[in-house]
Amino acid sequence: MKEFMLFIRSEEKPKANLSPEQLQQHIEKVGSFIKKLADQGRMKSAQPLEMEGRMLSYKDGKVIDGPYNETKEIISGYYHLLAEDLDEAIAITKEDPRFEEGIWRIEVRPIKKVEGIN
Amino acid sequence: MDNSNKEKSSRALTEHFFRNEYGKMVSVITKYIGTENVETAEDIVQETLLKAVDFWEQNEVPKNPQAWLYTVAKNLTYNILKKKKHQLTYRNLKKGEQNLDTFEIQLTSDEIAFDNQLKMMFVCCHPSISENSQIALILKILCGFSISEIANAFFSSNETINKRLVRGRKQLRKNKVSFTIPPNLNQSLDSILKTIYLLFNEGYFPSKKHELIRYDLCLEAIRLVKILVSSKHIKNKSDCYALLSLMYLNASRFEARMNADNTIIEMEKQDRKKWNQELIQLGIQNLSLATQKKEPSIFLILATISANHCISPSFKETNWQEILLLYDKLVVLENSPISRLNRSIPLAIVKGNTAAIKELISLEANSDIGNHHLFHSTLGEFYKKENNVKKATTQLKKAISLATNKRDIDLLKRKLLTVVPN
Repeated sequence: MKEFMLFIRSEEKPKANLSPEQLQQHIEKVGSFIKKLADQGRMKSAQPLEMEGRMLSYKDGKVIDGPYNETKEIISGYYHLLAEDLDEAIAITKEDPRFEEGIWRIEVRPIKKVEGIN
Repeated sequence: MDNSNKEKSSRALTEHFFRNEYGKMVSVITKYIGTENVETAEDIVQETLLKAVDFWEQNEVPKNPQAWLYTVAKNLTYNILKKKKHQLTYRNLKKGEQNLDTFEIQLTSDEIAFDNQLKMMFVCCHPSISENSQIALILKILCGFSISEIANAFFSSNETINKRLVRGRKQLRKNKVSFTIPPNLNQSLDSILKTIYLLFNEGYFPSKKHELIRYDLCLEAIRLVKILVSSKHIKNKSDCYALLSLMYLNASRFEARMNADNTIIEMEKQDRKKWNQELIQLGIQNLSLATQKKEPSIFLILATISANHCISPSFKETNWQEILLLYDKLVVLENSPISRLNRSIPLAIVKGNTAAIKELISLEANSDIGNHHLFHSTLGEFYKKENNVKKATTQLKKAISLATNKRDIDLLKRKLLTVVPN
């Protein structure tokens, strides 16, 4: 099994305009998707991220705030997933029912295995 | 989250749980912070549900989801009250701080929760607010529909619906509407019932697109009248029972009215086995409650007409005599062109097509009903039955030219083909 990091991307406050009915469906559908993978031992971790936070970088000899992205896109959550290979990880990701809501993008990235550690 | 989740059992939420809790919570919070801050109440509840989503998606639904929501909503309300201290009037703040202790009781007791939703209905239907805005407010505040869901249901745009909501809330602020049941209850009740009936009809009007949402509109209209029916503040509930009966009876035909290919089936051709017997029973039960006081009302007459259809084994065996008598009573109470147009159908069956044609011609001369496609399609139908092909064709073509909705045009074109096949 290989490890994958899935970055869930969206606009800021993605769920703000969903109706109560849609929010309930989100819990039911996405919740059981996550639970199923967790039960199979494939979902190691799944968390939403707070909207607040800072972007830090290094400039002229010191750590500064920014620069921030010009688009409103943010990473609103992540999955830490186990899969045989990238193809399988993508196939699993495609089944995430959150896509039906039309407000999410998910970036699937294999975690790099560095030889000689552990 | 880790693999220890395996041991947890799945808990399911009851259907429409969020939507129903939304209306309850907005009503109770508005009670504390005042109707002029109703939008803040809506925001607090939306925020509460968002917190629930983030938490429950990861950790499963808690044992008592209701209590979880109420605690979060209460804390958010506290914070808002503190933050908005300078914006809220002294009266509201004081009232709010005193009473917030009973916040959870207000929500947990069905009776008090109903009572608050009832008061919210009176607030949404305040006479200073236009009918369009009243319906939008009811759907947004009491039924938990989002702006885009309301827009979909009304074939309107998000922008238009939002404008209606903004205007409605502005009236609440301007008129300092209090969160109470008004003293002239009966007059306000009439306008609430009328608004709920409009809401029901919006949902009942068939459309494959968004059918789910539209059926939900009907269910919500029924739920709201049930709240009215269970209230001890309303002494004379005849009209509430009558409207409830009418909606149950009409809803019983909901599924039988549509073909698989999204076309309307007229009552004459509907498969009566598909009519929902459970809803018909509920309709009849409420009808007998409505008739306990012997006052005729528009809803009571409409419900009785609908009941006559529901209990008849076939279109032919329907008691048209009785239905015509009911329409005669209806036009005394509400002499509207559309009621007279509807009356022409039993009139044609009981007294013959010629009598109905005569009646419609005089109706057209005395009203502007001639601008409506339904008038011409009904008249065309009568001419068709009299084998007057020329006049039937003229009327149906006129109806097609006046109809704006593709579904109506399709139905009319099919009718025209039965008169003059290609």
